[in-house]
Amino acid sequence: MPAKLERSKTDILILGTGGAGLFAALHAARANPNLDITIASKGLLGKSGCTRMVQGGYNVALNAGDSVERHFMDTIEGGKWLPDQDLAWTLVETAVERVHELENEVGCFFDRNPDGSLHGKAFAGQTFDRTVHKGDLTGIEIINRLMEQVWALPITKLEEHRAIALIPDAKGDGISGVLMIDIRTGGFRFVEAKAILLATGGGPTMYRYHTPSGDKSMDGLAMALSVGLPLRDMEMVQFHPTGVLAGTDTRMTGTIIEEGLRGSGGYLFDGNQERFMERYDPRGERATRDIVSRAMFEEMRAGRTTPEGGLYISMAHLGPEKVAKQFKGMVDRCRDCGFDLAGGLVEVVPTAHYLMGGLVCNVDTSTEWPGLFVAGEDAGGVHGANRLGGNGVANSTVFGGIAGDTMPDWLARNPHARVPDEDAIEQAVITVGAPFNSGNGDMNRVRDTLLDVMWNDVGILRDAQSLNRGLGQLNDIEAELKSCGIGDSNRAFNLTWHDWLNLKNLIAISKVIASAALARENSRGAHYREDFPDAGELDTSTFTVVREMNGQLEVTNQPVAFTRISPGETLLTDAPAAAE
Amino acid sequence: MSNTAKHLSVSVWRGFADGHYQTFEVPRQDNQTVLDVVTWIQRNTEPSLAYRFACRVGVCGSCAMTVNGRPRWTCRTHISKVVDQDGKLELAPLANLPPIKDLVADMRPFFDKWEKAEGKFHPSKTRVDPMATISPETTKRQAADKAIECINCGVCYAACDSVRWNPAYLGPAALNRAWTLANDERDAGGPQRLKAVSANGGCHSCHSHQSCEQHCPIGLNPTESIAGLKRLTVDAYIRGELS
Repeated sequence: MPAKLERSKTDILILGTGGAGLFAALHAARANPNLDITIASKGLLGKSGCTRMVQGGYNVALNAGDSVERHFMDTIEGGKWLPDQDLAWTLVETAVERVHELENEVGCFFDRNPDGSLHGKAFAGQTFDRTVHKGDLTGIEIINRLMEQVWALPITKLEEHRAIALIPDAKGDGISGVLMIDIRTGGFRFVEAKAILLATGGGPTMYRYHTPSGDKSMDGLAMALSVGLPLRDMEMVQFHPTGVLAGTDTRMTGTIIEEGLRGSGGYLFDGNQERFMERYDPRGERATRDIVSRAMFEEMRAGRTTPEGGLYISMAHLGPEKVAKQFKGMVDRCRDCGFDLAGGLVEVVPTAHYLMGGLVCNVDTSTEWPGLFVAGEDAGGVHGANRLGGNGVANSTVFGGIAGDTMPDWLARNPHARVPDEDAIEQAVITVGAPFNSGNGDMNRVRDTLLDVMWNDVGILRDAQSLNRGLGQLNDIEAELKSCGIGDSNRAFNLTWHDWLNLKNLIAISKVIASAALARENSRGAHYREDFPDAGELDTSTFTVVREMNGQLEVTNQPVAFTRISPGETLLTDAPAAAE
Repeated sequence: MSNTAKHLSVSVWRGFADGHYQTFEVPRQDNQTVLDVVTWIQRNTEPSLAYRFACRVGVCGSCAMTVNGRPRWTCRTHISKVVDQDGKLELAPLANLPPIKDLVADMRPFFDKWEKAEGKFHPSKTRVDPMATISPETTKRQAADKAIECINCGVCYAACDSVRWNPAYLGPAALNRAWTLANDERDAGGPQRLKAVSANGGCHSCHSHQSCEQHCPIGLNPTESIAGLKRLTVDAYIRGELS
């Protein structure tokens, strides 16, 4: 069946409709209403991706006792001195304006104190209660209000359009457009654009247990990698300690059980229903995410597990009625899936939550490629070795808005369209169409192997041996995927074709994660090497950068530029004031 | 599980605008949602089966379908809630929306109506202004809060008789959103919104059958919100503001 290719032209093309993509659309349309803007989403507008799934909230220094300097220091120290300090500063400074914009212009309504001022809640790793929120459904409030605004804009909306290749210009010195699949028809669409924002979201769904939205598959980073762009901090995968464990063939497995349950006194049990966290940390279950995740992984590796191979969370000793009231959303979600969180035992596992790494970029979201911009989880450098809870949605909305300001400005200075490299379009069409001509490889086996390899060998605890073993297996399944086919079936809404494309991208980025993890011979933040357990010298900190050159991954270690502050220093002069 | 069938017999709508039901046998498991069932079919039996999902946890509102004749989220509908001992299950796309393929419906009309109901915030201030001081205890704020957590999944819209009978009707979710905005004292779009929701196909097209309330997966009550809009629009009409 010959593949159909439609073409269109636009000034600004935005890939993704999470917090970053939607904000970019709003800002760009406002900056210059005459621009032709196109926004594309792999799923429905505003419904795919992870901003919507944010439970915790939005970190922002609003209170008189807090300051952007304090938020900055928490971000740098949380990131173990690896963040790009100018990106981190831009985050904390612009978050103040962005939250005002969300409230006053977009229409979000965040929780209030009795006196009518905004409520800030406590979040781990921060020296001030600065997390603005809407109950535990903050992401829904932010995205619903944003999507209403964007839905009403006179821009082109391409729903269920999956980007498959960034197409360089014919001269090879910039980007000319993006090749996509219209998922509904199965046809190809090339959108030629003068400025393009990559905001597809990261989301480490290549791990056996993961929290992000199930449609995420590292599409943005895989596209960037394949055209030779640099990815940084890719070894930094954040694990959340408690995801649901429901057994094989369940989509709910890996989804988050919120942190507040441990914080409020919940217990973690091994398979024999005995507590174990106090053997690892005096704070017990209340230790930080990374420590609890590592302890749980060790318990599981030692075989002290539940029937499904995980551990238990137990809340009953706090009073089931009280738990059901305090954590209503979580208890309801568990009940719908057949578990009694308030009164019984629920099987849990640590679960891959967020990718700190991403495409190297500048504070104005520009990248190495003229015309290509990046924001949100596709961008690297904001969080360094670890992301603070509440800095994720701040990141996507702050830099999405900045991209929406930057692109019209850039267009005014660079008004000429670039001529697409037609060979690259043709080649991409052939590459992604391969499974329609392939044989009977077992795609389920490839998926299971990927999930297990990443979990066992490239996960919470790593060493050179496991990483090398993992890389070997990733190469094997990369080859095996090529033999997996779906025959000459109808391309319209063909999820199995998209599963193949998802796996292709996930394997490509998994190799990057493993390679970066192998290159970092120390343990920082989310990255823990059992053969190099020390953090290393902070003063000489480096970050990893991975590029694909001639089909091979090349990793370099680059020195962190302490542009605002060096390890041992602080921007703070005072102790934090009381929150209220 | 000793009293229940080991396999589910799943009858699935296949096709585009025209189609038919096709039956699949799926192994039954303890922890299994409707979404897991369609995923199993797609991964193991029928690779071309189309369905839609994203978040997996009842946040995105992408995965709703007609399950045994009733609109539901599939990611949080446990099999034990919807099948009997024979293990029979019937799946179709959401009603009242154009079908795309198999279990996937086109949600654009739903969101077009959301927009038509002026279901977006009209700002009265800008980012340089301080944020509004609003007590969570005020009557209006409590009315807004009660209806605000809608995730626009379309379940109420698919369940609504008035939508089925009157294609112009804006539907429960869009009007519910309009009600939350009518109670948002920061919003400046009141007059045009009241016109939008009192026009043909607006709140007065609701016959208060309360299917929306019965089917809402998170227990919202759009009928009550629409009743609130009816009062507001009647008051505005009497004051001569809707002419």
